[in-house]
Amino acid sequence: MFTDKLGNNRIYFLTILLLPILLSACVVGQQWSENYALMEGVNANDPVIVDGDLSTVGQSQLKKGSGSLDLDRWQNSESIIILPEKKKIYRVTIHSSNLQDYQLLALNTLGEWDVVHDQQHNQEKVIDIRLKKVVTTDGIKLLVRKTTDDKARRHQNSKVERENEVTSGGKVRKGRYVYKITGPQTAPAKIAEIRLFGYAESSQ
Amino acid sequence: MIMRNRTLQIKGKKIVSLLVLAVLSSLIIGCAALQEAQRKREERMMERRNANQLMMSASKATVNVDPNPIDNKPHGESDHYTLKFADDLLRMGDFDEAPEREIFAKSALLYMESLYDAMHNIFGFKPKHKIHVTLYNLFQGTNRAAITGTQYRYGNNIKYVTGIEMHFPMAMYEKHGVRVHELTHAFTNIYFLPTWFNEGLAVLMQTEYAKGGLHPKFSDLERNLKKDLNGTNELENWGGHGETGPLTEWRYRYAYTVVSKLREKYGNQLYIKVFELMERDQLHQKLIGAMPTSFLVYYISQAAGEDLVPFFEKLKFNVRKLKKTDILEYIKQVNTQNLRGN
Repeated sequence: MFTDKLGNNRIYFLTILLLPILLSACVVGQQWSENYALMEGVNANDPVIVDGDLSTVGQSQLKKGSGSLDLDRWQNSESIIILPEKKKIYRVTIHSSNLQDYQLLALNTLGEWDVVHDQQHNQEKVIDIRLKKVVTTDGIKLLVRKTTDDKARRHQNSKVERENEVTSGGKVRKGRYVYKITGPQTAPAKIAEIRLFGYAESSQ
Repeated sequence: MIMRNRTLQIKGKKIVSLLVLAVLSSLIIGCAALQEAQRKREERMMERRNANQLMMSASKATVNVDPNPIDNKPHGESDHYTLKFADDLLRMGDFDEAPEREIFAKSALLYMESLYDAMHNIFGFKPKHKIHVTLYNLFQGTNRAAITGTQYRYGNNIKYVTGIEMHFPMAMYEKHGVRVHELTHAFTNIYFLPTWFNEGLAVLMQTEYAKGGLHPKFSDLERNLKKDLNGTNELENWGGHGETGPLTEWRYRYAYTVVSKLREKYGNQLYIKVFELMERDQLHQKLIGAMPTSFLVYYISQAAGEDLVPFFEKLKFNVRKLKKTDILEYIKQVNTQNLRGN
């Protein structure tokens, strides 16, 4: 009887001792999957961001505008990656030299984009995002809200000019100064690579 | 009695087998319907997610880059392109250092190679020559015009392409829709098409494939028609990219509307069929100068399976209905004149 009790206690003791070790072993053994953005059949709106080469740099692309510079000048640019099949994504890394504020979105089963991550004031050149929960999707979109090159782009695409008038006598009458917008006021994000990871196949 | 039972048994078996067959066929039909519904849903999803952007896969092309080339050699070369930076661009902050040029040239060539593969998939043909791309800060004094030029020679009664060049100011190169517009020219210029059709097709690709471009379609072709003093559609007097004037914007929009309306009516494969028919006949190579619209309409009509001369006449194009014998006769006549001239 005594030995039985002792045996039971030993089992409990060993279980309590081994359980955390087993759990931690699971966590240590958790490995990242291959980069899904390099799968065969992946498409992107700039294919250079999914070519697996950090020495090539692509850009986020402006969406089709309305045609009116007034409406389109603050338009955000975006990078889209479409996978050939749904994958469970937990980690996203973005290699960008100028990305500041952005949102990360995932395509849901209704074909709509859900925000899965949001960041402002980024200063890292390699952004390593661990999503709060695993996202099962075949589409990832990076919506660029601000880059460090926006100011230079605004400067490049804005100018102050006189609004001169030609009189009936053919002379030019100097007009007031006006602020003219000649192009988009936001710069695209320079992106060397976007990588998408889940957990390695065995742990999925 | 026994006979009756047997008959009933046989009838029963028949009914059971019929029922089994009915259930099986309904299951099969049900599965097929489900599969069809699934396929349609996937198509809808695909359309929805790709609706606003041009999507491409990464290129596996070979790219070689030299940021400091000598003897006027290009800064980069890939399977289908060479890339050069013009002197005025080399003075700009983003291009004045070798590593900047190296990264840009490699990235740009890989993007253009992906685009080349995508366009090849659409058209089913590709130019035989490498495309020589030059990037500028300002091209011909402006940053608002990109140009693709196809050089060709005429010899032994045959026109053949000798080279393709693309010139982009950086402000234009940055717009992916413009790249698609110019690459469409590089692909289709090998057929020596009439200018209006060439530009209409390029705007169609830029707008409907690349989701770019700012040339909206007209809602009504007849109401928006512009004629010259001879009463001919102003599209027929178009000199192309290099020509700018008060009619330029109208020409881009009108040409795009004509090309798009025909595609809507006769299907997405209409122009692919036109090029296949031209390729089969090889008559485009035997014409001197630009291709007359009547010649083009002969092929579009064949591809559409309907005589389209009345459609073009209604829009005041200078066209007449041709038969192949008319085209052959015309070519023969021109060649004879050429021989006499020589």
